[in-house]
Amino acid sequence: MSAAAASPLLALRDVEAGYGGQRVLRGVSIEVPEGALITLIGPNGHGKTTLLYCISGLVRPDSGEILLDGQAIHALPVDRIVARGIVHIPQGDMIFPDMTVLDNLLMGAYLPAAAAEQQQRLEEVLSFLPPLAERRGQTASTLSGGERRMLAIGRGLMAGGRVLLIDEPSLGLAPIVIEQIYQVIADLKAQGRTILLVEENASRVVELADHVHLLDNGEIVWNGPAGELVENDELLETYLGG
Amino acid sequence: MDTAIQIVVSGLTLGAMYAVGTIALSLVWGALQMLNMAQGALLAVGGYAAYTAVATLGMPLWLGLPAAIAVGGLVGALMYALVVRHMLGRPGFETNVIIATVGIALILENLVLRLYGAYPLLQPIGLEGGFQVGATYVPWQNLMILVVSVVLMLVIGNFLSRTRAGRAIRATAQHQRGAMLMGVPVGRVYVQVLMIGGALAAVSGIMLSTITTLAPTMGYDPMLKAFIICVIAGLGNIYGALTAAFVLGLFEAAVQYFFGVRFGFPALLVLVIVALIWRPYGVFGRHKQARL
Repeated sequence: MSAAAASPLLALRDVEAGYGGQRVLRGVSIEVPEGALITLIGPNGHGKTTLLYCISGLVRPDSGEILLDGQAIHALPVDRIVARGIVHIPQGDMIFPDMTVLDNLLMGAYLPAAAAEQQQRLEEVLSFLPPLAERRGQTASTLSGGERRMLAIGRGLMAGGRVLLIDEPSLGLAPIVIEQIYQVIADLKAQGRTILLVEENASRVVELADHVHLLDNGEIVWNGPAGELVENDELLETYLGG
Repeated sequence: MDTAIQIVVSGLTLGAMYAVGTIALSLVWGALQMLNMAQGALLAVGGYAAYTAVATLGMPLWLGLPAAIAVGGLVGALMYALVVRHMLGRPGFETNVIIATVGIALILENLVLRLYGAYPLLQPIGLEGGFQVGATYVPWQNLMILVVSVVLMLVIGNFLSRTRAGRAIRATAQHQRGAMLMGVPVGRVYVQVLMIGGALAAVSGIMLSTITTLAPTMGYDPMLKAFIICVIAGLGNIYGALTAAFVLGLFEAAVQYFFGVRFGFPALLVLVIVALIWRPYGVFGRHKQARL
């Protein structure tokens, strides 16, 4: 699939953003076509999370535009952006620690459109992520790291939404748990979900991705189909640690 | 035995009133990290509003009391719209808002003073009579306060745990950004919380005024005690606050009975010091960060 498809579902054009005087993103453009899995790879502290924050509205871009289905969303408040269909599964999970797994999932379906289908979605999510079903009555803070990550994903799925933003899903997890989480992401892709995935470590991502962007120091330094990246030894050396 | 009954009756009444005020403080702290120093003034506003509605305007109780409670909620909403909203999210919010709410308290208190004068007024609301348990006389009004408080706590508890709006408040308190990403308009949650806080303060003030008198500064003592209870329970911990409110109410009643009324408050303060040395995050507190 090409990133330059006719009209991408989500498009970022020349997005610049920063904190205080410090520029974090310097003119980033990314296109996410419907049904594609697009990835953004780069070292820590180079703006990947900030980019996702810009899309969901937690950070306001200083310039550039972010379009969902051709309509600008970058000036909307977060709740309105979420209502348009942006589902952000953030780094660090941001689950509600003192609520049960079930209540966390129900919060995912907070918006009226999702709340209307809450019961059906809950059944779907619990059968898609069985570990959550077993622990539905448990307080979220007592979950393991992998279960928390699953809860964050499940909560995002409860919202329905049109584009999933997934930020470093492998962060801080044991290799065997990373396998499980990536299996979940592969299943989501197989279901035809539109996904923008951010990772520091590219090796896992490249197998799944349709299109890869390398972010370095706030700029996209390379982008192309995942297959081309695998063949490019120099890039692999620099960005993927060989 | 009679001594015990007397202490329990008086302690539960105190505890019930403290509990309502404490939940208000705790809710506001949990959701906004805002120490509301205007809580005491809100108690007075509620008490005087009920007085005006019933004694001056001649409203029946079923209309006058909700109206007075609504006034408390309205003041809470105004606090958000006029002051808190402009300070939220800025550096130093937690400190600045304390000073701002002290200012609001002074304004409200002087407004009450201007409108009603400095002389204590008698609250016309309240149940007459009482009943006998052994040698102890229990006024119906005390029982009423206990019942109203317990019912109110159950309503609030259910609202927070079982409704969509209640879940959104808890989510906002536990992870503000996480709640935003779920589509929760956190500004609206903050207004709701301050309105609930104001309404609960009004209820607390009305109850208090039925067993004492109305005075512009009537809210200070219960506010201080609510702070003490919050400190012991761990700020933002509602169920801990409830337990602590009743335990401290009983403790205060016992101290007052055995050592005299004036020792009640100092004894509470000693208890706080001991509790904080023993458990710096509160007896029921688990984290440094307080949550609902």
